[in-house]
Amino acid sequence: MVAQQIINAVSLGGVYALLALGLAIVFSIVGLINFAHGELMTVSGYALLASLFLGFPFPAAVLVAVACGALAAVAMERVAFRPMRGASITSLLLTSFAVSSLLKVVFQNGVSARPQAIAMPSWMTGAFSLGDFTIGVGPTISIVVSVLALIALEVFLRRSVTGTAMRAAAEDFDVVRLLGIPASRIIATAFLLSGLLAGLAAMLWVAQRASVDPLMGFTPVLKAFIAAVVGGLGSLPGAVAGGFLLGVIEVFLQATLPAAAAPYRDAIVLSGVIAVLLVRPQGLIPAVRVQRS
Amino acid sequence: MVSVTASETRSRPFLPAAFRNAFVDALAMVAVLVLAGLAVFLFGGAAMQRVVTYAAIMLTAVLGLQIFSGNTGIVSFGHAAFVGLGAYATGILTMPAALQRTALRDLPPFLAGHELSFFAALAVVLVLAVLIGLLTGTPLLRLSGSSMAIATLAMLIIVYTLLVASREITRGSQPFYGVPREVGLWTAVVVASIALLAARLFRETSFGLAARAAADDERGAAAVGVDHRTARLAAWVLSAVAAMAAGAMMAQFLGAFSPRDFYFDLGFTLLAMLIVGGMSSSLGAFAGVVVTIVVVEVVRRFEGGGVVLGFQLPVLFGLTQGVLAVAMILVIWRRPTGLFGDRELDLLRRSESASIAASAEPPRRAGAGHVAADHLSRRYAGVVAVDDVTLSFDTDSITGIIGPNGAGKTTLLNMLAGDVQPSAGSVSIGMPVGKASAFRFARAGIARTFQNIRIFPRMTVLENVVVAARQVEPDLAAAEAAAMRELARMGLEAFADRPAAGLAYGLRRRLEVARALALKPRFLLLDEPAAGMNAVETAELVAILAAVRAERRIGVILIEHDMRLVMNLCERVVVIDHGRVIADGTPAEAQTNPAVVAAYLGSRTARAHMDAKTD
Repeated sequence: MVAQQIINAVSLGGVYALLALGLAIVFSIVGLINFAHGELMTVSGYALLASLFLGFPFPAAVLVAVACGALAAVAMERVAFRPMRGASITSLLLTSFAVSSLLKVVFQNGVSARPQAIAMPSWMTGAFSLGDFTIGVGPTISIVVSVLALIALEVFLRRSVTGTAMRAAAEDFDVVRLLGIPASRIIATAFLLSGLLAGLAAMLWVAQRASVDPLMGFTPVLKAFIAAVVGGLGSLPGAVAGGFLLGVIEVFLQATLPAAAAPYRDAIVLSGVIAVLLVRPQGLIPAVRVQRS
Repeated sequence: MVSVTASETRSRPFLPAAFRNAFVDALAMVAVLVLAGLAVFLFGGAAMQRVVTYAAIMLTAVLGLQIFSGNTGIVSFGHAAFVGLGAYATGILTMPAALQRTALRDLPPFLAGHELSFFAALAVVLVLAVLIGLLTGTPLLRLSGSSMAIATLAMLIIVYTLLVASREITRGSQPFYGVPREVGLWTAVVVASIALLAARLFRETSFGLAARAAADDERGAAAVGVDHRTARLAAWVLSAVAAMAAGAMMAQFLGAFSPRDFYFDLGFTLLAMLIVGGMSSSLGAFAGVVVTIVVVEVVRRFEGGGVVLGFQLPVLFGLTQGVLAVAMILVIWRRPTGLFGDRELDLLRRSESASIAASAEPPRRAGAGHVAADHLSRRYAGVVAVDDVTLSFDTDSITGIIGPNGAGKTTLLNMLAGDVQPSAGSVSIGMPVGKASAFRFARAGIARTFQNIRIFPRMTVLENVVVAARQVEPDLAAAEAAAMRELARMGLEAFADRPAAGLAYGLRRRLEVARALALKPRFLLLDEPAAGMNAVETAELVAILAAVRAERRIGVILIEHDMRLVMNLCERVVVIDHGRVIADGTPAEAQTNPAVVAAYLGSRTARAHMDAKTD
C-alpha cells in the first residue's frame, strides 16, 4: 500500500516536473511565463486522438502526438511571441494568457466541448507483481518516461553546442548574442523542448484518464506553474524539484487527509507552497542571473 | 537662488495641486458615468439598464485591479477571488432568514439569520475586505514581480477550492440562490463613482507615488526612501476593498451564482478589460470597461448563431472570451500601453502645477555629522570588490573617490548608501536606522545618484522629485513646494509637467540630483555625476554643487573620472585600487603620491616619475 502510494506520488510528480521544466526553459531564455503551455498538452492529446482515428498503430500515434506538441510550441512562438520580442515580462505573460483563452475557444468550437474517449491499450492498465507488491503498469511507465526525458534533456544541455548556448543564454542572453549565436535558433529550440516535454506529459496524463477535452491541460499546468515558482522561477533543477515535491505532497495528503478535509486538499497544498516562498522568496533552487550595475 | 519667503509658503491652498487635478479628473469620469446612467434610465429598456448596471459593477472590480496592478506594475490574477468572497459574504448576510434555513441548513449559527440590508452588508464586507487584504497581502507581497503574479494565481485557486469545499456555508459547487436583488442601476453607479474617485486619487497619495516609483525603478525608489512593500500593501488592501465591493453588488445583481462564476473566466475578463483600456491609469480602466462592454454586447447578438449579410453563422461557444482574447492580443501588439496610453485626463495638471509656490530653503543642518566605514569588505563569489576599508566623512566637505576601473568605488558607495550589504565590517551614518537598507538610509539623510541614471521614466519630472520630498515633508502640499524648490535650483522648473522619459540626457542627470536634494540630506553621494556631460554642462554642475554645499553645509562624496572636476571641486581625495584605500589627502597630495601614479599608469612609469623628481 505504501509502496503503491510512493509510486503514485513519483509518477504524478514526474508529470508536474516535465511541465514545470518546459515552463522554466522558456522562462529562463525569453522571460515568458507561458500560460498557453496547457494548450500544448491539449494539442498533443487531440493529435493522439486523430492519429488513432486515422488507424495509426499506438506507438506511432504517440510519436505523432508528441511531435505535434513540439511543432505547436514552435508555431506558437513564431505567430504570437516573436512580434513581442523584447517586450516586458508582463506583456508577454498577458499575451500568453490571451493566446490560451483563444485556443480554448478554438478547441471548443473546432472539436467539441465534451471529453472524447481514447482507447488505451489493455496492457497499460494492468499491473505486475514484484515480490509482495503489486505495481501498476501506467505509473511505472510514467516514472520511466519522466526520468528518461530528464536525463536526455540534461545530456542535451550539457553536451551539445545549442544546449550549452541555451544554458549560457539563461544567465545572460545579450552576451550569447554577441558571441554570434543566432537568438532565433535558441528561442525556437527552447520552445521546441518545452513543447516536447508538454507532449510527453500529455501522453502520461491521457494514459491515466483515457480521454481528452479542451480544458485537459488547465489543471496540470496550473500545478506546474506553482511547482516552477516553488523551485525558483527560471531554474531548471528547481522546476524538477518543485514538480516532484508538489506531486509527493498531493498524493501524501490524498492518502492521509480525513474525509472531511479532503475537499480542501488544493487549498492546503497551495498555502504550503506560499509558506515555502515566504522562507525562500527566490524558490528552493534560485536561478542564476547576471546583474549589471 | 530661489527667492521665496517663508510667509508665502504658509498661505498654501487647502489641497495639494495633484489632488485638485485628480479630483477634477475623477469628477469628469463620474459625470460621464452618471450621464450614461441617466440616458438608459430615461430612454433605455430594462435590458439596457441591466447592461449599464453590470458595466458599473465590472468597472468597480476593474478599478480595484487597476489600483493594484496599475500602480505597482504587478499583474494580479487573484482579484476574481476577491469579487467572489465579496459576493458570498453579501449573499449570506442579506439572505432572508426563512430561505436560509432551507437552502443552507448547516450554516454555522454566527453566520445565520442576519438579513441585513444591502448597504449594511456592504459595510461589513468592506471591513472584511481590509482584513482579507492584509491577510493575503502580507505574505504575497514578500515575493518579487513574476513570482508574485503566479502567487496571486495560487490565491485564486485557494479561494475557489475553499468556496467549493465549504459546503455548509456556500452550498459547494451548486448554485447559491435566494439573494435579494436590490442592487439596481443607481446603487451600482454610486459605488462605481466612489471607486473612480478612490482610484484616481490613490495615484497621487504618498502610497500611490511610492508604488509607481518602485514599479518604474525599484532601486531608484529605495534610494529616495521609498519602502515599496508598505506602498504595495496599501495598494493591495485598497484594491481588495474595491473588488469586494464589486462582489457585493454582483451578488445582489445576479441573485444566484456558483464558485465557477468567480474563477478564471472572470479573472481573465477583468484583466482583458484593464489591458485594453490601459493598465496604468484610472482613465484606462474606465475606457477599457466601456469599450469591451460595447464590443461584447455587439458580439453577443451573434453568439447563438444567426444570419449576417446573408451568411448563416454557426452556434459558437465562448465567443465573448474569444473576442476579449483577440482584443487583448491586438492591443498588446499595437499599443502596449492600452488604447488610452498611460496618461490620466490631467485636465488641470498644467495650471495647477504652475500654481505651486516653491518653498524656502531648508535651514542649515546644525552641528556636524559623519558617515563612517569600519573595516568594510564586500566579496562577490571570490572576487574581493572592497577590502577592509576604514574611512570617515564629515558634513560640510566635498570628498572625491577616484581609482582605476573596477577598483571597487561603486561597491563602496553602494554600501555607504545601504544598497549593498557588507560581507564584513559596518557602516555607521551617525544615527540609528535599525536594519541597514537603502530606503532607511535615504530617510536618515543619505541621498545618492546612480552611475546609470535611475529616474522614474513614466512619472512627470515634478512627481519624480515629489516622491523623494514626500519622505521628509509632513504632507503632499509641502512636498510639492519643496520639489518645486529643488527643480528651480537645478533649472528644471520649465519641464515640471513633462514625463521624465522625455528629458535629454544632461537634464536627467540634473533631475536625479534634484531628487536627491529633495530628501534634505546630510550627505549627498554622487556616482560619476559628470559622466557623458560636455565641458559646459560639467562647469554648471560644479557651480551648483559648490553652491549647495555652501548653503546647506551638506557632505558631498563623489566618484568621478573627470580629474579636472575632482581637483577643482574636492577638498579631499580618496584613492582606491583593488578594493583598498591607497591614498587619502588633499588633491595635491594625491597627485604626487607614488602609489596613486602606479595604480593609474603602472609601476614602471611611477618609478620614472619619481626618478624625474629626484633628479
